[in-house]
Amino acid sequence: MIADFQEKYSNRHQIAGQWKKDGKKVFGYFCGYVPEELISAAGIIPVRVLGSLDTVSLADAHLQTFICAFARSCLDQGLKGVYDYLDGIVISKTCDITRKMLGIWAKNINIPFTAFIGAPSKRTESARDCLTEEFRDLRSKLEEFTGKKIDDDSINRSIEIYNKSRQLLNELYEMKKADNPPLSGSEFYQVVKAGFVTPKEEYNEMLSALKAKLASSKPSGDGKIRLMVSGSTFEDVNVLKMIEDVGGNVVADDLCIGRRYFRDLTQPASDPIRALADRYQMKITCPCKHPSDERLYRLIEDVKEYRVQGVISIVQKYCDTHLFEYPYMRDMLQKNDIPFLYLETEDRMGEEGQFKTRVQAFLEMMG
Amino acid sequence: MSEKKSAKVKKRLKTAGKLGKLMDDYYKESAVVKAEKKPVAWLTSVAPVEVCYALDVFPLYPENYATMCSARKLSAEFCAEAEAKGFSPDLCSYALNSFGSIYLDKGPFMGKGLPEPDMLIATEHACLSMTKWWEVLARHYNVPLYVVDAALPIDDEVTSYQVKYFADQLRELVEFVEEHSGNKFDIDRFKEVLGYSDEASKLFMEVGDLRKTIPSPVSPVEIFTNMFPLVTLAGKRESTEFYREFCDEIKALAEKKVPAVPNEKYRLLWDLFPVWYNLRLFRYMEEKGGVVVADVYATAFGGRIDISRPFEGLAERYVANPILTSGVPNLTELYKRLVKEFSVDGVVFHSNRSCRMASMGQYDIKQGIFDDLGVPGAIFETDFIDPRTYSDEQVKDTLDSLFEILEARK
Repeated sequence: MIADFQEKYSNRHQIAGQWKKDGKKVFGYFCGYVPEELISAAGIIPVRVLGSLDTVSLADAHLQTFICAFARSCLDQGLKGVYDYLDGIVISKTCDITRKMLGIWAKNINIPFTAFIGAPSKRTESARDCLTEEFRDLRSKLEEFTGKKIDDDSINRSIEIYNKSRQLLNELYEMKKADNPPLSGSEFYQVVKAGFVTPKEEYNEMLSALKAKLASSKPSGDGKIRLMVSGSTFEDVNVLKMIEDVGGNVVADDLCIGRRYFRDLTQPASDPIRALADRYQMKITCPCKHPSDERLYRLIEDVKEYRVQGVISIVQKYCDTHLFEYPYMRDMLQKNDIPFLYLETEDRMGEEGQFKTRVQAFLEMMG
Repeated sequence: MSEKKSAKVKKRLKTAGKLGKLMDDYYKESAVVKAEKKPVAWLTSVAPVEVCYALDVFPLYPENYATMCSARKLSAEFCAEAEAKGFSPDLCSYALNSFGSIYLDKGPFMGKGLPEPDMLIATEHACLSMTKWWEVLARHYNVPLYVVDAALPIDDEVTSYQVKYFADQLRELVEFVEEHSGNKFDIDRFKEVLGYSDEASKLFMEVGDLRKTIPSPVSPVEIFTNMFPLVTLAGKRESTEFYREFCDEIKALAEKKVPAVPNEKYRLLWDLFPVWYNLRLFRYMEEKGGVVVADVYATAFGGRIDISRPFEGLAERYVANPILTSGVPNLTELYKRLVKEFSVDGVVFHSNRSCRMASMGQYDIKQGIFDDLGVPGAIFETDFIDPRTYSDEQVKDTLDSLFEILEARK
């Protein structure tokens, strides 16, 4: 069952290539702050641009060594033509690197459409007003690109489908509260990642089927140490598998490719654009947003709710916003007597051997 | 060289002495203000300091302070101290320097760190690290923080709603500063401050334009050191007066075609930050006939203000800043324009590992300028204030290869 999800992700470029042959339009988006609902309402399939475990060969001519492995790998894939099927990319203002990526992509990779959302960082009323206008602009640009109006009804339909998707992911996530979660951490992230690259109607059917199957399954006791993983994004799901191999299980997360992506639903409102702006501005914060303390308060709450025994932070080297928060997070966890392991990655978890030793030591310490 | 000896060297410009006095007065005043228990705010660069001056709040700049710590060779120790507390060595060294100076309570003035803030004001349109850094300060000092957030375009015009968002926050900032200083806002006083700020900026940009003169009447070190009043004293009468004199002095030199640097052979465009602990690099280039005649670092701090709409006008000055709203495509065009207008022969890029935001894209910009105009460039990598990874030989090798190309072309 999980294999279906895994296939969607690993074959994502071939699948998208087929969509193109069928005459469909495909857009790439760069992080969880791009309103996919709008792109989808325009009749375009949104897919999340993510890196790969391939060796980087072309991006080094464009990026200094001090730019994160995620941005580097994505650009490298783009330069290699892996993303040639994209008709457009949409980037929202989160970190400085993502913001600057747009120009480098625009200059070096032939993409017919680019749009940037100058998203505010704060969560005030005026920030939401501003994001509403940003989203209206995006809507107009999409209409201009497709030559078709995007009416409110189609946005509302799109919101409903996306909400359904998030709802299902939340339900699956909550199953991890159980003593013996029916899905392991690595399996769960295979499921989530498939969602980034699969049209949501199809994906929702897959999720519903999985949910039904898991409800009737009887997981056997595993007695593994319950862990939370915190960080932004990483390509290598094997790192979660490695954690499981040495006796841990990831039952909760604070990841940009995890719960931060699906936790919050859009609340219906008379103006669907406003509803989307409220959702994206008020969703659980990424450290790029201000104030970002809430993320850490919620993290502590989740540790209790999911009976997490230890937190492993996996941070991309050179990810400023996460790095600035690290000492504060460390102190906060310490104050709450929560064991904490900090790992810095340059993706391509070539450091796996070293990681494994450190995770092992961490788990033994909690024993 | 000892400080005594350097103090004796006669400065080329008359205004150089005035700058020294402005800086001295400013830091002396900061200590007095604190002793008198008047409110002190710490600001990020490109934050609307005009609001502070209009409300009699004394502004301090940890970034400017970091450049001074670096010039006095204190930054390596400060950064190491911040790293020992858990901050990654990959973070911006301005921030690490600031944390280290606080933890050690050490600094270039009277041996102590900066006077403590009563309130904190940050922007994030120059880079996101500023907001993150100020969040750390707010937790450390437990004082109120106001972040002037910005919705920014990239390679596109700033929209009216983006200006409105910033302007609305400027109004909120006024209330914030009133609340935490106990002082009352007066719109006429504010307009007067904006007038001074605008005038200073206008004069500074005029000096920038005078660098189109061949040979250049002003050196890069004179430009970079003379930015202090533009950043720190924006809105003070003294700052405007200083730039009037500075501008007049440079204008007179330009008219008489007095070169700032003898033997100007190659005119260079500089991107972006100076290497603060090694301003001698400019001297090194100048000995080879290379004079920096244009840069975008200084211009990033300038900008005109439409005083008839004080809040929107100030918002536009900060948000519609081409350096901060451009990506590779527009920056390439901007640099190409500078190359043409300033008769530039070569471009030197300082890839600053502390500033990913400003350094990202340099490889593409360099290539773009070469492809379109045939003007060569060179990129060297280092840190702007932390000398621990600096390699003088590597940097000079890079510069030398650029000079070889330029030499071959003459």
